[in-house]
Amino acid sequence: MLDNIINFANYWWFRYLMVTELYVVEKWERVTIHVIFMLLFCVFWYFNYSIMLSMTSNLLGYTPLLANMLPAMSPGQGVKGG
Amino acid sequence: MGNLDDAPCEEQGYAENGNGKAAATPISNGHTPKQWMNHAEEQQPHLEQGEIKFSAPAYTEIRTRSGGLNFKTVNAGSYHPAQQEASNGYANKRVNGSSRQQPKLSQADGILSAEQEHYQKTSFEEVPLHTACLTYLGFYLLMILGYINQLLFVPKVATEKKREGYVTLYDAFESFYSRYVYRRVRDCWNRPICSVPGAELVLKDRVTDDYGWSFRFTGTETRCLNLGSYNYLGFAAATGVCAEESEQRARDNGLAFCSSRSELGNTQQHLDLERLTARYCGVEDAIVFGMGFATNALNLPSLLGPNCLVVSDEKNHASIILGLRLSGATTRVFKHNNMRDLERVLRKGVCYGNPKNGGKPWNKIMIIVEGIFSMEGSIVRLPEIIALKKKYKAYLYLDEAHSVGSMGPNGRGIIDYFRANPKDVDILMGTFTKSFGSAGGYIAGSKVSQSKGFA
Repeated sequence: MLDNIINFANYWWFRYLMVTELYVVEKWERVTIHVIFMLLFCVFWYFNYSIMLSMTSNLLGYTPLLANMLPAMSPGQGVKGG
Repeated sequence: MGNLDDAPCEEQGYAENGNGKAAATPISNGHTPKQWMNHAEEQQPHLEQGEIKFSAPAYTEIRTRSGGLNFKTVNAGSYHPAQQEASNGYANKRVNGSSRQQPKLSQADGILSAEQEHYQKTSFEEVPLHTACLTYLGFYLLMILGYINQLLFVPKVATEKKREGYVTLYDAFESFYSRYVYRRVRDCWNRPICSVPGAELVLKDRVTDDYGWSFRFTGTETRCLNLGSYNYLGFAAATGVCAEESEQRARDNGLAFCSSRSELGNTQQHLDLERLTARYCGVEDAIVFGMGFATNALNLPSLLGPNCLVVSDEKNHASIILGLRLSGATTRVFKHNNMRDLERVLRKGVCYGNPKNGGKPWNKIMIIVEGIFSMEGSIVRLPEIIALKKKYKAYLYLDEAHSVGSMGPNGRGIIDYFRANPKDVDILMGTFTKSFGSAGGYIAGSKVSQSKGFA
């Protein structure tokens, strides 16, 4: 079971390295690219969390459940304030 | 050309070796290497090493296939007609007239409806979008890393000094690309080879400790399938009929005349070769040249002038593009193998004429395509192009560099493959480099186009 999971993860890690051509580069370069990927992911995540989420909830007229429990807050602020 | 099917026989040869039987099975490029025949017994100790090598995935795959297909003889699995003739894999027997009388059809001909058959003959796998995107992503990553590397480190190779008054040999991007991008993947292609590139070839193994800056030989060799070079018919082998006859001819007649035909004149060999080429292509006459690239690059200017329109496929080879640039003709490019786009370009050319000449008609309009596109591997849609050429009264120049000898039931190239009439193609160009394992090129066509300088 555990072996299967490890094999599966290894296989996809290998495919990831092949597709991004990272298998030919040096170790520190690989780390650099991974850090850049992580940073990009975080930036996207934060963007989605702070802007996209509030925007879509505004558009759909959906107020988060938390809003009922928390002190009064303008809907434009979304979950950012919380 | 039958490589895959022949390979299993060799594998079985190795397997039989365990019983003390000599592995004298011919390898797929048609000859049994002497060292194997003579040292069959000596191979016994190396068998373990060989077994490890041939248990690599590629070879396992071949062995699996051979299990499914039980060939009785060595050549039974080979689908190449020439290899059925001779036991050593060469077409050394002259085929008698009786079998040549009726044109042989390939197995694919006449089974499907004409439309489906044409679709199947010209179908070409498109690159999926995600593959293209991921390839670009990989290249961008390599470029970014390359620029970071160039900023931080001094390259471990000789660098060009910027001397006063000298032009640099390499531009900045070229040297950057070869040092920091191509260098990493260089080992995928630039491997030293130590055998004739037949159906199989032997590579010299090497390893790198510094990510491709330098290499060190391990002293071992790897035998592998050749999927990446010319010599489609196996004529360029080190031994066999072709090699022996070439050697004999070179001894009899010398290697070269050391001057051009325009200076020293023709010999009987030139004339024989031209006549043979013309007969092979099924046209009236042919003219041969000593270099394949130059056949395109230097003959297109003599066929085309400034008041000519050339409709050229976008994936045409560099030699054609160079020839078109040298000729001074106006070039319009159409999308690769796209007949709709070709018709659009042709119609525009016919309707609007030469804008530099006040809209007067072009002297001639020529469509230039390749039989098998050398950069893509796709096959030209010849029947449609011939139809369009007739409709718009254009000339057709077909570059058969890769297709002659390798396509069609009789090996006569893309015309044979589509069962078209050679007379419908005005100029047939081809090379002797690829299938015929030699050097040089030819232009074949009707006598008018040869002698009168083509209109």
